[in-house]
Amino acid sequence: MRSGDARREILHAIRTNLESSPPVQSSPSPERRGGQGVRTPEGRGGQEVRIKRFTEQLAAVGAQCTTVRSETEAAAALARILADAGARRVVGSDAPLVQRILAAVGNDIVIDRLERLSRDELFACDAGVTTAQWGIADTGTLVLESARERSRLLSLVPPIHVAVLSVRCICESLGDALARLSVASHAITFITGPSRTSDIELTLVVGVHGPQTVHVLLMEGP
Amino acid sequence: MTFERDARTALADGQLRGALRQATTLFGERRRAALATVPDWEGARDRARAIKDETLEHLDRYLEEFAANAERAGACVHWARDAAAACDIIGGIAERRGARTVVKSKSMASEEIHLNAALARRGIEAVETDLGEYIVQLAGETPSHIVVPAIHKTKAQIAALFADKLGIAPSDDVATLAAAARDALRRRFAEADLGISGVNFAVAETGTILILENEGNARMTTSLPHTHVALMGIEKVIPRFADLDVFLQLLPRSGTGQVLTAYQSLITGTKRRAEDEGPEELHIVLLDNGRSRMLASRVTRQALACIRCGACLNACPVYRQIGGHAYGSVYPGPIGAVLSPQLFGLARSAALPYASSLCGACRDVCPVKIDIPALLLHLRAQVVAEGVAVGKGHLRERLAFWIYATVMVRPRLFAWLMRAVRSLRIMPPLGAWTKWRDLRPLAPRSFREQWRAGLGDQRGPDA
Ligand code: SF4
Repeated sequence: MRSGDARREILHAIRTNLESSPPVQSSPSPERRGGQGVRTPEGRGGQEVRIKRFTEQLAAVGAQCTTVRSETEAAAALARILADAGARRVVGSDAPLVQRILAAVGNDIVIDRLERLSRDELFACDAGVTTAQWGIADTGTLVLESARERSRLLSLVPPIHVAVLSVRCICESLGDALARLSVASHAITFITGPSRTSDIELTLVVGVHGPQTVHVLLMEGP
Repeated sequence: MTFERDARTALADGQLRGALRQATTLFGERRRAALATVPDWEGARDRARAIKDETLEHLDRYLEEFAANAERAGACVHWARDAAAACDIIGGIAERRGARTVVKSKSMASEEIHLNAALARRGIEAVETDLGEYIVQLAGETPSHIVVPAIHKTKAQIAALFADKLGIAPSDDVATLAAAARDALRRRFAEADLGISGVNFAVAETGTILILENEGNARMTTSLPHTHVALMGIEKVIPRFADLDVFLQLLPRSGTGQVLTAYQSLITGTKRRAEDEGPEELHIVLLDNGRSRMLASRVTRQALACIRCGACLNACPVYRQIGGHAYGSVYPGPIGAVLSPQLFGLARSAALPYASSLCGACRDVCPVKIDIPALLLHLRAQVVAEGVAVGKGHLRERLAFWIYATVMVRPRLFAWLMRAVRSLRIMPPLGAWTKWRDLRPLAPRSFREQWRAGLGDQRGPDA
């Protein structure tokens, strides 16, 4: 098989070339956990501090955030967000929480289910609603795991992405988040603010391919 | 020599130089501000480099581990000895899937192997979807900067281009232009049969590939079409999932001065359940194309640690003047000057190791501490040893440097020569030098002469 040959050839070339230069004796072997030294100090503060930092960072990267205390409040906040943006067609993910919140949003808005949409219909939607599995306080980042929810396209294609996140799921740093992730998800997506580009004369434009608006509904509570 | 000619053209282009200065200065400033948010930047650089060194030292093992884990997760891993093999593999996949259109997110490796041309020969259209790359492709040009590919074009030029190719009303509003590209590209995303992406990091431990971006086009490319092909150089592998932490701290800060780019996609194989979203097939193409050769020496091996952040371009005084096109390679700037001769052969890029003043700015900003000046010197030595013709200017230049060296180590000869030059008012024949620069006039008296005449006793020259 040709592919097998190429594999053998490349590995052979790597080995031969490596052998032709003397090995380093004292290559400082990096620690088992790669990023440790960079992370922020442990125990920098409790949940309160993390929440504060997370919301500050969200603002810094151009995302919106509304704190809510219940599903009813979340539905009211979502209705306002959608009305303010003039959104008519909204799609929710398969997360039960999202389904419950959408059901309580009211009837001015057409609510679709992702599995019933064709690609063209998905492209015509105004807003996508998902949950986020994790937040990262240091960077204002949302982390979405494919094994937990069908959020990959809804957090990308519509111009507005609304993500529900529990305050309990805010990690301190990128390293903390990486440590909690499992590659049982074939796709893990880190989202930090809206889609952006500076490709034309270095002028910032948001919403070039992905959403223009990222709105986090931060759920407090038990 | 094309480098000389292209550099001349670039220097004569005032608009290009202005845009370059603006971009490189802006990224330089943002980078400095972003570094301040990392408590131990030097430590992070050292750790990242140590991880890269460890990986390269055992590259065979880590590649095999990566391939095995990616395959276990459902990916199909291909090995490509050179550019032609990689193009064959990808072209073959596209044909088997019956693809007429493929969407692409930014991949320097795909430019390295001239993938678009190879696909076009099979009648397959490759559409670049990164806004800057899209502009450059529409215009029939090549990127001029790793991070901002269309930095050489003004919005007026882009507006005219879009009016012509996309049929939109001319507009000088950048948001309107971006929206026009978004609409045009959405249609291409909807119809594409295949998505081709690059890879920023590949994790051996899990078989995961990671792609960073800001626009969302890489997410579109890797989630909408039925088939995703990821092309990566064999040096992109890192051992552990947790190693991503330090690289994600370094790359965006060094490249665009962002703490984190808008999106990171971590893809591990294909979807697990029928109802999952994403491509049915994931093909990962591992590209050697001259990389394994670079392992043979510790000096050249360093270049394989590069994470393509672009910081060395922004810091380089030569790049800041001439931009990316003059390097005549997909890899411009300081890192390009060391990569291109090694990947594509000294004979094709012998002038590039000389396209540097060896000031060391690239080494200082490099997040993985690649000693680019040392590499350049190593390659210059090779150019000389192999007797590769560099260009007609170089014989004269060598003679000039020989004279310079002879004079500079003999103070009395130097003083005598300078007096002669001053009294005779002759200027050295520096036509090539002064064409693009202004030579400062010689002072009426040298510093040494002023010093001897009493400047040394605390009084200012005007007192
Ligand atoms: S050589 Fe260093 S600074 Fe230049 S692109 Fe590569 S990683 Fe960045």
